Amino acid sequence: MNIQFKFLILLAGFMVSSMLHAQDIEHDPATLLKQTTNNIFIKLNENMEEFTADPSGLQQLIKTELMPLLDIDYAARLILGRAGRGIEKEKIDSFSQCMSTLLISRYATGLLEFRSTEQLQVLPLRGELNEKLTRVRSRLQLSKGGYAPIDYAFHKTAAGWKAFDVIVEGISYVTTYRNQIMPDVQANGIDSVIARLSSGELELTD
Amino acid sequence: MRTKKPAGLYCLIFLSMLMSACAGTQNRHTDPQNDPWEGFNRKVYAFNNGMDKVVRPVAVAYDTVIPDPVQRGVGNFFRNLEYPVTFVNQVLQGKFKQGAASTGRFLVNSTVGLLGFFDVASRMGIPFYNEDIGQTLATWGYEDSRYLMLPIFGPSTLRDGIGRYADSFYHPVGYYTRKEKTYWPFILRGVDQRARFLSQDAELEQAYDPYVLMRDVWLQNRKYQIHDGDPPLTDYDLYLEDDVAEPDPEPDTPDRQ
Repeated sequence: MNIQFKFLILLAGFMVSSMLHAQDIEHDPATLLKQTTNNIFIKLNENMEEFTADPSGLQQLIKTELMPLLDIDYAARLILGRAGRGIEKEKIDSFSQCMSTLLISRYATGLLEFRSTEQLQVLPLRGELNEKLTRVRSRLQLSKGGYAPIDYAFHKTAAGWKAFDVIVEGISYVTTYRNQIMPDVQANGIDSVIARLSSGELELTD
Repeated sequence: MRTKKPAGLYCLIFLSMLMSACAGTQNRHTDPQNDPWEGFNRKVYAFNNGMDKVVRPVAVAYDTVIPDPVQRGVGNFFRNLEYPVTFVNQVLQGKFKQGAASTGRFLVNSTVGLLGFFDVASRMGIPFYNEDIGQTLATWGYEDSRYLMLPIFGPSTLRDGIGRYADSFYHPVGYYTRKEKTYWPFILRGVDQRARFLSQDAELEQAYDPYVLMRDVWLQNRKYQIHDGDPPLTDYDLYLEDDVAEPDPEPDTPDRQ
């Protein structure tokens, strides 16, 4: 199932979804996805040595370029589901914050593996664009040959289209983590989950 | 994942006997999956983990000793042998065009690709399709099938367990195993496939509930296969609704039994 590449794929997924940032929200997500992938790779290639030596610059790049384009809060709400019921908003926010921090450091590590935009092919939308939800499909060329299909779920917010889920070979991250996080929160409480997420004891991505 | 052996029928009979005596317990804190046999499935999952204590070291040794290109060749070889099962089921599903592509792929890889060790067809741009009786049954309407953890073979559904057994009669590895009464091809394929999943062991171990993680990943990916890579998008609204809907049960109200 190529899941060993899941992390890289997830990384690429969120990376390319950065196209929504500061772009005309009237553009369709697939076109923007392509454009922004290129932009990101250019910046990455320019600063590869610097980033390799000191990943904090890369983390900053991800933070400013990529994170505004993801709707982590929404993903967090979907993941918490009914386990989030009755939990104070501040705690949900800090859960969501933990997810962001983890994603940033993970992407920073994995981004350095990428060398060219050739690896990612964004497929055109297939009439699935509706008012509030759409799916963008892409294919990531794997170094060992073959490709991994990656879909991104976007929804339209007041700030434009934002990605909130990555689906690799049919496996949705939101769905999968939801069934891990929900019972954990129910059993141990949100505080425990947040604490373990921040300490790195609880992994968010593989 | 797609291993077969002649004892499959006895396994199934044995399983169905066990399960009839085994009421499942759904984990009420996860999304309701079609897993009414969860209690039983978890026992089989534990059994498989026990088996893995033996299988994993062999897979690790294989992965360490055998060079990557050879491993790729072995993987290609077994993948090429999926052809008869795929083709029959492409026909059963009316996918004649894809069936022609798969036939071309099989012919090229079996000859130019030296018995399938080299995947020449992929380099020529011939796509790989994967079909089996489980998927055929699903496209014929038996899509929603309960999750079933099979001993040794791992995650499946009732539908796919039946399909796997039926497929084993005309799958080259299953056929060879029956005819020659030798398990070596079966074991080699098992080890090769286990080696492919080594990189995921850590993730599975660290999961809050490894059983649920494996089930969710497998069922989602299976749905993806059934829909030939184009499954319907998850109904995310449902995930949100449920943080407001479904009021807390009030244990002290006596009027609900």
